[in-house]
Amino acid sequence: MSEQKSNRFLRPETLTAVGLFLAAAAFLVPTAQLPQISALLPAAMLISLLVLAMILLIADQRKAAAENTSEPVLKAPPRVFGAFLLILLYALAVNFVGFYVSTAVSLPLVAFVFGYRNLAGLGIATIIVVAAIYLIFSLAMAKEFPSGILGIL
Amino acid sequence: MYSDLLHALPNVLGLENLLALTFGVIAGIVVGAMPGLSATMAISVLVPFTFGMEPLVALGLMAGIYNGAMYGGAIPAVLLRIPGTPAAVVTTFDGYPMAQKGQGGYALQIAVVSSALGGIASAFALLLLAPPLAKVTLLFGPSEVFWVAVFGLCSIIFLLGGSVVKGLISACFGVFVSVIGSDPISGADRYTFNQLELLDGVSIVILLVGLYALPPVIDLLETPLKTENGASEKLGTEPIWRTLPTMLRFWKTWLRASIIGIWIGILPGAGGSMAAFMSYNEARRTSKTPETWGEGEPEGIAASETANNADTASALIPALTLGIPGTAVAAVMLGGLLIHGLQPGPMLFRENPDVVFGFMWQFLFGAVLLIFLGGSLATNSFAKLLKLPRPLLGSIIIVLMLIGVYSINNRMFDVYLMLGFGAVGYLMDKLKFPLPPVVLGLILGGFAEENLRLALRIGRGDWLILFQNITSQILVALTVAVIVGPMLKRRFIDTRKTAVEG
Repeated sequence: MSEQKSNRFLRPETLTAVGLFLAAAAFLVPTAQLPQISALLPAAMLISLLVLAMILLIADQRKAAAENTSEPVLKAPPRVFGAFLLILLYALAVNFVGFYVSTAVSLPLVAFVFGYRNLAGLGIATIIVVAAIYLIFSLAMAKEFPSGILGIL
Repeated sequence: MYSDLLHALPNVLGLENLLALTFGVIAGIVVGAMPGLSATMAISVLVPFTFGMEPLVALGLMAGIYNGAMYGGAIPAVLLRIPGTPAAVVTTFDGYPMAQKGQGGYALQIAVVSSALGGIASAFALLLLAPPLAKVTLLFGPSEVFWVAVFGLCSIIFLLGGSVVKGLISACFGVFVSVIGSDPISGADRYTFNQLELLDGVSIVILLVGLYALPPVIDLLETPLKTENGASEKLGTEPIWRTLPTMLRFWKTWLRASIIGIWIGILPGAGGSMAAFMSYNEARRTSKTPETWGEGEPEGIAASETANNADTASALIPALTLGIPGTAVAAVMLGGLLIHGLQPGPMLFRENPDVVFGFMWQFLFGAVLLIFLGGSLATNSFAKLLKLPRPLLGSIIIVLMLIGVYSINNRMFDVYLMLGFGAVGYLMDKLKFPLPPVVLGLILGGFAEENLRLALRIGRGDWLILFQNITSQILVALTVAVIVGPMLKRRFIDTRKTAVEG
């Protein structure tokens, strides 16, 4: 993994520590409104997170001062963001369009986008997977999947 | 206690259980054989599908997958020098050179026999050691149970290796997630933000699938490995009954590796990789021909595969009796127990003896099945798995994850929550935050809080009640030892290093 020169305040661990600190501080607001006994454990955890985030930040900044380089966290960021985006779109499509249609489209699409270009293989795999899900879950187990607001399938 | 063990046996021998176990072992070998997929991931994806099953059938599936995957990892390790699971790294040292010499089939047969023997030894350790330990833990009151939870969390944070700060952050995150929902005692809503779906808290399954299944899928899509041309077409496999007698000379290695694997499995935070490394080093140290190791020495495979399977069932000894998992897979299995209403820990053996003892038998039978399914039937077939296209595999797993999580409560909210945890899990994984403390935090957080409150109520608000009896004091001392021990060890190593350099 290649190392890169970076702004010491934009190092992944520094950003994580800052994000963690802000999130823990934000959650302390609703914690203050809880009854004392209910707030005991969450408050202890949030305060610990604040302290630990500070330690993480200081440690990373000391490391940055010493080496001035940082390892990239992701090997191929576009592929990672693309994968997350496609998975999120698939979940939204299941909710709004319906499970079977979304699955029949998403399954070959994701595989194709990420490098499996055998169209016959994609078609056969999609038919087998969707049919197996229908037979096992919808027919045998009488499970209902979202039909979406369009009410397709 | 041991009579309960025999009492549970007939249930395990039912057709449904045996089928589940067989399917689990095959599925485990398949998963283990695919680099990037692990037993932890497979069990995480499987857990939601087991909701409607009998607990024993569900646990049989999990036990089978765990056993199968630990051997499955050896297949790409031998044929491609790519460990299918982290625990199979050591198997590459001698397995791949053997495959290069045209002995890949023999290497896999040694792996399967050694894995099965390690698994059998581990299952016996679980069967023999867990019941008496459980008997002791039944005497625990609320303050002892609270300290057991604290000890469990501390041991996985401090003994896991890596950054302690990151381990603590992971654990705090897990405990924090465990308090989301309606407070069972005061009824106050904690961090639900008026979402009715969060009133019952966050299901462990959602967290497990998000943390353990989504990141490997993203990895599969991020860097597709090219394995199409790597696997040997001809493994040179002879029937296992013909090669078995040639393996009998490994008996000492099998015995030693089993003991190491069992011991490492019991220790919280250690895992199959460490067991395999230790066992390999020990076997090499005692070998008459250490110079042949690393160049295709069959005994090296026997040492690593026995040890990495010998830690499977033994990792469940602290998990079932105290609620402290020895490995990440054991942590996921605890989640599997929870969704069937089985709270791991002291009361499990009293309230559900048939299930818990049946589960132990399943580990034993799973290990035996491994020889038949992995060895004689299908070594060649499993080697072909390496040619499956990874992007396609990734997209099928995504669909299975969605079905599994949606099926818990029939709502998409859980799917979105799982994706959120998946994103967090992916980042944590890349930034080297350990994941097992998150799961353990979620499992033990509520448990610790409930018992802490109970203890305080008994002591009328006096915190000293947590330290008043000898068992609590021993547990506190153990917790302190777990925290301070690794620090002292690190300081000792640093001092020695400085002295040597000086």
